[in-house]
Amino acid sequence: MLTQVAITGTRPRAISEAISEAMTDDPERFAELVREHQAMVFSMACRYLRNRALAEEIAQDVFLQLYRKLPKLESSDHVLHWLRWVTAHRLIDHSRHEQRRPQSPLDSAPEPAVPANEGDPLLADMLRQLVAELPENARLVMILRYQEDLDPMDIAQALEMPLATVKSHLQRSLALLRDRLTRKKGVGI
Amino acid sequence: MNLDDELKSALRREGAPLGFTQRVVARARTKPIPKTAMFRMIWAAGIAAMLVIGFTAASEYRQVKAERAASQAVVALRIAAAKLNMTRDKVLKLEN
Repeated sequence: MLTQVAITGTRPRAISEAISEAMTDDPERFAELVREHQAMVFSMACRYLRNRALAEEIAQDVFLQLYRKLPKLESSDHVLHWLRWVTAHRLIDHSRHEQRRPQSPLDSAPEPAVPANEGDPLLADMLRQLVAELPENARLVMILRYQEDLDPMDIAQALEMPLATVKSHLQRSLALLRDRLTRKKGVGI
Repeated sequence: MNLDDELKSALRREGAPLGFTQRVVARARTKPIPKTAMFRMIWAAGIAAMLVIGFTAASEYRQVKAERAASQAVVALRIAAAKLNMTRDKVLKLEN
């Protein structure tokens, strides 16, 4: 919740104005909203799919859906929650759809560009890959926890999932990551 | 090493590709045809198709009916001619 306040609290008035004006079909105001949230939506898709082209396609679809939905969204908080919810569900729907089709192995998937990182870039890349190998719900929970810095309660709300399930996903995923990291790198975490 | 911190660092937000906003706005500007207009177009096309089919069927029915009447008239004329021939033969026999 703290993160949401921090994120939305940066320019809440400007965003509210952007929403009301975007409702009146002003593309520049809508562009402002897109700029405000594109990093969140794109990163969620990118971390989840590990494919930048596909991530962009899904992120664009999410924003087009937002454009149609804007008149019904009441505040900047509402927009933020709605975007998280829609992105999460679009990603889950996408992976379910993909499961019905023959898939290419994860290793052949294009790697996302690695941003400038203060920590160990090899470790960061390994962690991103390990997260990408988690089951879909667990992966999404981890992305919302560590990318969006949401607490388990907010994740449970965003994904419409019981709190206990979210906590269980987090614990299991962390244990799995520790185990795999120890095996791969011989690092005790 | 703290796994939480490492994960936050590894999974932090990444900037969207260059021109992302412009592409989204461009797609939003190309609005799809409104549903009501699409429904109207479908209705109009349906009604036009029904009118064409109805008109064609009606004209074909009229043509079939006319052909049948013509063939019946030919049969009637043939019967009348045969009867007249028979009557003429009888008259000729009586005269002889």
